[in-house]
Amino acid sequence: MSDGGGESGREFDRTTKRKSSDRDFPQAIAKIAVAQICESAGFQGFQQSALETLSEVVVRYIRELGKTAHTYANSACRTECNIFDIIQGLEDLASLQGFSGASDSDHCLAGSGTVREIVQYVSEAEEIPLAHSVPHFPVSRDRKQTPSFLQIGEEPPGDHIPAWLPAFPDPQTYVHSPVLNERGADPCAGNIEQARQHKKAEWSLLNLQQQLACNGLEGPSMIDPGDAAKARRAAETNPFLSAPLHFGEKGVSPVFLPAKLSNEAVVENQAGENHAVANHVSVLETFAPAIELMKSRSCESEEGRKRVLSNQRPAVQFKIEIGKKSTGTALDLSFQNKDVEKITSWFGKDNEKDDKKRRAEKILKESMKNPQELAQL
Amino acid sequence: MNQNQGGNDARHDDDSALSDFLASLVDYTPTIPDELVEHYLAKSGFQCPDVRLIRLVAVATQKFVAEVASDALQQCKARQSAVVKDKRDKQQKDKRLILTMEDLSKALRECGVNVKHQEYFADSPSSGMDPASRDE
Repeated sequence: MSDGGGESGREFDRTTKRKSSDRDFPQAIAKIAVAQICESAGFQGFQQSALETLSEVVVRYIRELGKTAHTYANSACRTECNIFDIIQGLEDLASLQGFSGASDSDHCLAGSGTVREIVQYVSEAEEIPLAHSVPHFPVSRDRKQTPSFLQIGEEPPGDHIPAWLPAFPDPQTYVHSPVLNERGADPCAGNIEQARQHKKAEWSLLNLQQQLACNGLEGPSMIDPGDAAKARRAAETNPFLSAPLHFGEKGVSPVFLPAKLSNEAVVENQAGENHAVANHVSVLETFAPAIELMKSRSCESEEGRKRVLSNQRPAVQFKIEIGKKSTGTALDLSFQNKDVEKITSWFGKDNEKDDKKRRAEKILKESMKNPQELAQL
Repeated sequence: MNQNQGGNDARHDDDSALSDFLASLVDYTPTIPDELVEHYLAKSGFQCPDVRLIRLVAVATQKFVAEVASDALQQCKARQSAVVKDKRDKQQKDKRLILTMEDLSKALRECGVNVKHQEYFADSPSSGMDPASRDE
């Protein structure tokens, strides 16, 4: 039931839309005519709604009259209406108000009261032609028909095609021919290439930021592409840089969730204590310069800090796992923020363009503003 | 016999009157244009090539509209005179006669057309006021 209702609702919408477009012009003409008649009756102004209502009523009156006359003609086994059908229709419509002789059952239609009233009206009322000239409507557009084979004088390509059918379109419209690249170097191509490069760089930075959020700190994987080890490491972390899969392999995307990381860390811990300890030690080692800086933050100026940083720029990547939760929680957020800034400054030292660095800083700052959201990543 | 003849004569008179009337319609140009009437009659299935019948329908419609308009005008004038009666001290302003929905609905009710409209839309400061005082 609901389906039927929905469908009918949709259909109703469609039909109303069509109706409104069909009847705009004749409705407007009717409004003008009605306004002129009311003006002759003595009115000096109209309410819009009242005028529209009256013109709608007039249109319905004409249609009702036509329908009634047509019905009477059909009842008399005719398809074309004549004067008597119209008079009968008029009598039907005027039966509410009444006319002289309405009660007579077998009066001649020619002498009907309605006709007499109309005659009286015509004789009394002044002739008011419509202010505008109305063209013949609705205007029917002639469809340009496709000429047939016979009309063109062509032979249909095939015995099974009769000649009176419309001809086929020109072969140029459906045959695909190779297009020569006449223009050569597209002026926009260079811009497109540049934009693509920018996008790639931004994407990698975003990816980096994501990984930073999940893992803590991620080494600058993009900085020295020459280093093979680094490239491998980068391939592990950045899915877009990984080697393509061979046939039959299935690529499992690494999902960097905190739960999974903790599992990973647990597995690693189970694998070997030494390994974990080594990791732990490496964490401390790598954080050593940062921790030192934090201690001396208050007395040093920013530039001094940067100088210290440049001296202690690490040659080796460091990967910090959140194996020991205590390590992770021991770092307060402000520290993390500062670290991120340092990382971006490190990025800046290595042949990165200034605007890229600024963009990276912006991205990282935005990410660090809401640490809760990062935990959900 | 005499009655029959009388009846026949009357019928002939009627017929002749009708044919004379139809002939006169060719000269008369009704306000409602022929094209419009033809369009709506065609929509309802009316088929007739005779232009006089189209004119007849147009004239009949014009008469209908004129009747409704005159009824509405009477209503409007009655309301205006009622207002003026209450305030005779004020200067008699020559107010414009405006066709309003109220008068129209009263006039159409006699013809059997029920037109009900909202009393007011609460979206303007003048909603709910006497419509005659609202000039549109």
